[in-house]
Amino acid sequence: MLSNTTLDTTIPVETPEGIQIDLRPAGFVARGLAYGVDLLVRIGLLYVVALVTALFGGGGVGVFLILYFLLEWFYPVLFELSAHAATPGKRVLGLRVIMDNGLPITPAASMIRNLLRTADFLPFMYTAGVLSILLRRDFKRLGDLAAATLVVYVAEAPTKVEFSNLEPEAPSIKLALRDQAAVIAFAARLPRMTAERAHELAALAAPLSGGADVSGPVATARLTSIAHWLLGHGAGGKAQ
Amino acid sequence: MKPLVFEQKYQNEWHELDGLLAALSASRSWRRRRPVTAAGARLATLYRRACEQLATARARAYPAYMISRLEQLTQDAHQAIYRTDDFGLRRFATLMFADFPRAVRAHARSVWLAAACLYLPAIIMGLLVFRNPEWILSVVNVEQVAEFEAMYSTAADSIGRTRDADTDWMMFGYYVWHNTSLAFQCYAGGIFVGLLSVFALAYNGIFIGAIAGYLSQRGLGSTFWSFVATHSAFELTAIVLAGGAGMRLGYSLLAPGRRSRLQSLVHAARASVDVIYGVAFMLLIAAAIEAFWSSAPWLPHAVKYSVAAGCWVAVLTWLWRGGREHAS
Repeated sequence: MLSNTTLDTTIPVETPEGIQIDLRPAGFVARGLAYGVDLLVRIGLLYVVALVTALFGGGGVGVFLILYFLLEWFYPVLFELSAHAATPGKRVLGLRVIMDNGLPITPAASMIRNLLRTADFLPFMYTAGVLSILLRRDFKRLGDLAAATLVVYVAEAPTKVEFSNLEPEAPSIKLALRDQAAVIAFAARLPRMTAERAHELAALAAPLSGGADVSGPVATARLTSIAHWLLGHGAGGKAQ
Repeated sequence: MKPLVFEQKYQNEWHELDGLLAALSASRSWRRRRPVTAAGARLATLYRRACEQLATARARAYPAYMISRLEQLTQDAHQAIYRTDDFGLRRFATLMFADFPRAVRAHARSVWLAAACLYLPAIIMGLLVFRNPEWILSVVNVEQVAEFEAMYSTAADSIGRTRDADTDWMMFGYYVWHNTSLAFQCYAGGIFVGLLSVFALAYNGIFIGAIAGYLSQRGLGSTFWSFVATHSAFELTAIVLAGGAGMRLGYSLLAPGRRSRLQSLVHAARASVDVIYGVAFMLLIAAAIEAFWSSAPWLPHAVKYSVAAGCWVAVLTWLWRGGREHAS
């Protein structure tokens, strides 16, 4: 795999089987928005609870205070221990909470990180938590530090390379693994690029695509055909 | 081997692993909990093979979609296999009667320190206010003083609450919310090298001491002490334990020993969470006693003091002896 750890914010974690899992921690903006959504949900819930409990006088106030307490402290714990491991706000933003070794969050860790929310709040308006998130490469707030948890993006389903009915074509020179991967990645990203950008990129791979000698669409088509062949389509599918 | 050939060769295994994982997560869902039927050995085999295939695919720089597919698959399987389920009602009894007292005793020094931070300011402030009642105004303002006097006056129809708080249930809710939040703050403040735990404990100690000293001096002592004696066994002890756990967090940062500061903090936090479970449980009991028992004015003081003594003995015995017979 092409290593891009210097630029990316992914955190590599090694499993006992010796493979590496890349976790993508979520930064300040995503987490801030998730917090905002959760805040709205909590206020909404509290409003409904207040409306209902107001009907029952003093006892109702007691129930309201208990529910208020539970919402304030245990709303995140409840959701983080569910199957999605995320509060509604985090789900909207496509985030989830896991242990920083890639495993599902444990109840103890969820308790710690949410009780320490108080420490993150200090001195006011989550200053400590925000500073910690902004200063750290893995975007942990104080609660995450103590609980060894991480807020990460839920992995998206990868898109498969689709080819139009192009004939596979063997490359004119022998390609290193890195270069093969680059050509295949080019073909995979094709549907998400404008035609002009695709032609520009194809022209860069001059030895394969023909470069400046051929027109843009031809270069793109040739490079895609090579990707097609490299994947193992067609008659040329023997090992290189 | 070309990527597509590789995919064709192994995709049946990937499908099978997908199926097993789906079955496993379905058996875990809340709605239909049933015993896990997934074949464990097969799952482990397929997982190991998928790991191998992922390593191969990476080494051969196979297309990104295939590597992501394998990454996703191994990640899900990794989570399913190494998941720890450390919670459940069955564990609750062990937690409360063995693990919690043990966790408290394991860090007895920070607990004693926290107790000193709460009780010393309370006693000193109590004696000062008892001798100079006007010093109460350094802690609360005049309206609050009047309110406290009304709450503990012998004429009140229920003790320890303001006039507009009309039912036991309301006060129960208030105590759960207020006291538990306070204890959690004593705990969380510890992450700032223990300073905020000390501050929260001392601040509350001064407040409690001032009120106690003032009311005793005003001749309302018998109502006040009979009111607080019982639930304070749980409440004050819980706050001390929370503060002690907070100090332990702070100490782990100050003196991490052979760990890095961060590792030390993680370790201390994990050890302290048993204490916090116990604290929450104790505060729930305290709130129930405070709302339904302590506030009843018709109970004779002798009964209240006897029960209070029983509660203090029970709490301290629980913390001192609990879980010892299991220790091996």
